[in-house]
Amino acid sequence: MILLVATAIVLTLFGGRLLELQVLRGPSLAEAALGQRLKTTDLPAQRGSILDSAGDPLAVTVEARNVTADQTLIDDPASTAARLAPIVGIDAAELTPRLTGDRKFVYVAKMITPETWNRISDLELPGIFSEITTRRVYPGGELAANVVGFVGAEGVGMGGLEYALEKELAGKAGNQTFEKGPGGRVIPTANVERVDPEPGMDVRLTIDRDIQFVAQEAIAERVRSAQAASGTVVVMEVKTGRILAMATAPTFDANDPGSAKAADRGNRVLTDVFEPGSTAKVITLSGVVNEAAADPYTVIKVPPRLRRGGEAFQDHTPHGTLRLTLSGIMAQSSNIGTILAAERIGKYKLYDYMKRFGVGDDTGTNFPAEGDGYIPPVENWSATSLPTIAFGQGLSVNAVQAANVFATVANGGIRQDPRLIDAFISPTGEVITPESGERTRVISREASRQVLTMLETVVGDGGTAPLAKIPGYRVGGKTGTAMFVDPRCGCYTRDVVASFIGVAPIDDPELVAAVFVSQPRSGRYGGQLGGPVFTRVMTYSLQARQIPPTGTRAPRIPLTAKG
Amino acid sequence: MTSLGRVVIPGEVPTVPGRRRGGYWRDLDWVLLIAVFALTILGSVLVWSASRADLASDSDPQSYLKRHLITVGVAIGLGFLASHLQYRWLQAWTPVLYGAAIVLLLIPFLPGLGTTISGARAWINVPGGFSLQPSEIAKVAVILMMAALLAERRDNETEPTSREILLAIGSAALPIGIILLQNDTGTVLILGAVAVALIAVAGAPTRWVVGLIGTAILGLLVAVQVGLLREYQIERLTSFINPAEDAGNSAYNANQARIAIGGGGLYGYGLFEGPQTQGNFVPVNESDFIFTVVGEELGFLGSALLILLLAVVLWRACVIAWRADDMYGRLVASGVVAWFSFQMFENVGMALGIMPITGIPLPFVSAGGTSMMSTYIAVGLLQTVRLHRASTLP
Repeated sequence: MILLVATAIVLTLFGGRLLELQVLRGPSLAEAALGQRLKTTDLPAQRGSILDSAGDPLAVTVEARNVTADQTLIDDPASTAARLAPIVGIDAAELTPRLTGDRKFVYVAKMITPETWNRISDLELPGIFSEITTRRVYPGGELAANVVGFVGAEGVGMGGLEYALEKELAGKAGNQTFEKGPGGRVIPTANVERVDPEPGMDVRLTIDRDIQFVAQEAIAERVRSAQAASGTVVVMEVKTGRILAMATAPTFDANDPGSAKAADRGNRVLTDVFEPGSTAKVITLSGVVNEAAADPYTVIKVPPRLRRGGEAFQDHTPHGTLRLTLSGIMAQSSNIGTILAAERIGKYKLYDYMKRFGVGDDTGTNFPAEGDGYIPPVENWSATSLPTIAFGQGLSVNAVQAANVFATVANGGIRQDPRLIDAFISPTGEVITPESGERTRVISREASRQVLTMLETVVGDGGTAPLAKIPGYRVGGKTGTAMFVDPRCGCYTRDVVASFIGVAPIDDPELVAAVFVSQPRSGRYGGQLGGPVFTRVMTYSLQARQIPPTGTRAPRIPLTAKG
Repeated sequence: MTSLGRVVIPGEVPTVPGRRRGGYWRDLDWVLLIAVFALTILGSVLVWSASRADLASDSDPQSYLKRHLITVGVAIGLGFLASHLQYRWLQAWTPVLYGAAIVLLLIPFLPGLGTTISGARAWINVPGGFSLQPSEIAKVAVILMMAALLAERRDNETEPTSREILLAIGSAALPIGIILLQNDTGTVLILGAVAVALIAVAGAPTRWVVGLIGTAILGLLVAVQVGLLREYQIERLTSFINPAEDAGNSAYNANQARIAIGGGGLYGYGLFEGPQTQGNFVPVNESDFIFTVVGEELGFLGSALLILLLAVVLWRACVIAWRADDMYGRLVASGVVAWFSFQMFENVGMALGIMPITGIPLPFVSAGGTSMMSTYIAVGLLQTVRLHRASTLP
């Protein structure tokens, strides 16, 4: 009887406790339970691809796996490590400690391919799991690496366009709220809240990977043979301002940026500024022609030496007094002739043309760490400023700016911003074309035509760049051999930047290619070092773009006054 | 007392002959049986639900359930056999069973044969992936041994002698001592409760009962003082007082149990849908904490039903003990009542956070082969007591 009473009391106690827990405090306990289970994880957004102009991938994101381990489920870490080691390519001795212990979640190996994970999965090793992640792959390796850039370990852009276009490429991460058990396992029956990630946009560049490849090969070879510090090539489409290639040497493998020197990971084409040297004479002489201060046939008496502002200027090869045409001044790259021609328009006009051709202005490509170049304001010019700036000293440009000067001349005198990004393609396939920059007329169409004929004389007999000829095509260009300014001291060194910037076909210009070789040890002159690289890259580009020869003949323009 | 006129030969299991009213099947306590079977079915479903989540994803989610059902089958068979036993046969074989139980209790100490689960070295490995918990067998053996000792040469009226009481206490103390060494605190407490109950039911003078209870409490205090109980045992016993303050594993268990049960609310999440259960938050929820599964998945209504079924079992067991026509039968039935009630109260109570945590299963509900078998044997013994009375009624 006592037992029955006791039982009844205890049962009532249980009932009361049940009521308290489940009915009275139920909601708050259920909430405590939920809070304990809910785990929110980020769902990474698929990063947009970077494509070349034809849509071929330069940077893509592919699925990858991280191998993880629950140490508490691994009975024999040593043998597990031994079986994993050959597949993941990590020493068993290094793996064993990662598999030993009582942690429920550790990384064993990161960024392996799904195929490799399948091989691991087939081993059915207890305690070994995987996590889906993504990996940025650069199928071309070094191809356009300096333009495209690279991502860091977290998949965020760290260099080049990967960095500059992070916002567009990255998309927006989503998240997923799971209910998870204490071991981190997802509870199968539980509800899941999910915010889908928004994938990033694809970016289609104006880069043509074939031309890019040839340009990289050519400049890499030149840098090697000339024992130069570095070299760059820019290929531009004259009529659109599209940049078809931006090559840098030395370069790096975007899949392994860590093993390259920091300097080689940047895009020297846009980041490095240098004195343009003689290629700037094109600006000066364009201004002279456009102002009708002279034409290609105008004869200028060129003395052996010219004294200005207490300095004596000379040409690169000593000569007596010459009677050169304006074309001859261009073809032979006469400093004295250029100074005399520039004096016909004066320093204010010269400065004005420099600015209008884009010196000291950013290129509009919005590339990270772009160097805008510099020209001192005309108010600050000294007596030697006009002479030196006229032949390309005392101002600085980057390679794209220099190339765009020639593209402007070639484009009938209309300057437009160089374009590197052709379009953004949204995840839904919508194509968004960035606004094309301003088009401004810098020189007249007639002046443009006249300067082009002068440029053609540079590669002709008596010019400074006979090596830049291309069989079957009429081409023109300008050599440059500028003194290299050491950025550390801001002073001139014995080194030079040798360059050649050319246009083809000269009578109906389609392409501009600019070649720069910085600090060569073997060879010194732009025609000699840059000319052959130009020929190779331009020849390939003309064929790749299927640009036919114009079939016309070069006019005979005298370089010197007869008699 | 018995109306049997035949000599019972050990090794032979005789059926009950010469019934005056009804028959074996009619005289069985069907209410008890139905409650027990209902608990077993409910328990199997709960075990299924709790074990599904434990198993690795590539193994058969029903594999644990299948093992459980096999042991249930074996247990029902053993219970059926037990319900056919004769008092005399039972009394004759009790010393043998008792001796065997003591030997089995010692086996886990032998290297290679014993298994330690949750700190208690109380299991014997058996081929086929099963393990045997000899302390469960000891519960049956202690009840039978004490009943035999206390019922000798006596009817319901005379008091047992001091010698008999001492012998009975001694017969309980031996296995209790061994089990204490195995660190199986829960079983020690149950056997203690059984011993006290049997001494009391046997009509021992009150001083004995009070003295025994006092000794037990004193013993517990001394054990705590001299460090006989391991740190974890004390922690488990005390963590229920304030589970929210994280004091390691035991408090974690108590807190998780409370959260799971509380989450169930009035109707529960539904079978297989309890997130804390399926998420494996509550430890050993197929056995010690099985009540959290019913609490979370079937809610207040399911839990109340389970408690009601347990109450029916206890009520019928009490009735059988009450109506037993002789001291031996009453003692056996009372021992079972003490055992079941203490174990049920302790198990449900710890899940509800009103009893300290000890590792004992819920009879008929929890997974655990030996426990299932011993409890079914106990039900068989209850039926024997009932059938014995039926067979002797005029």
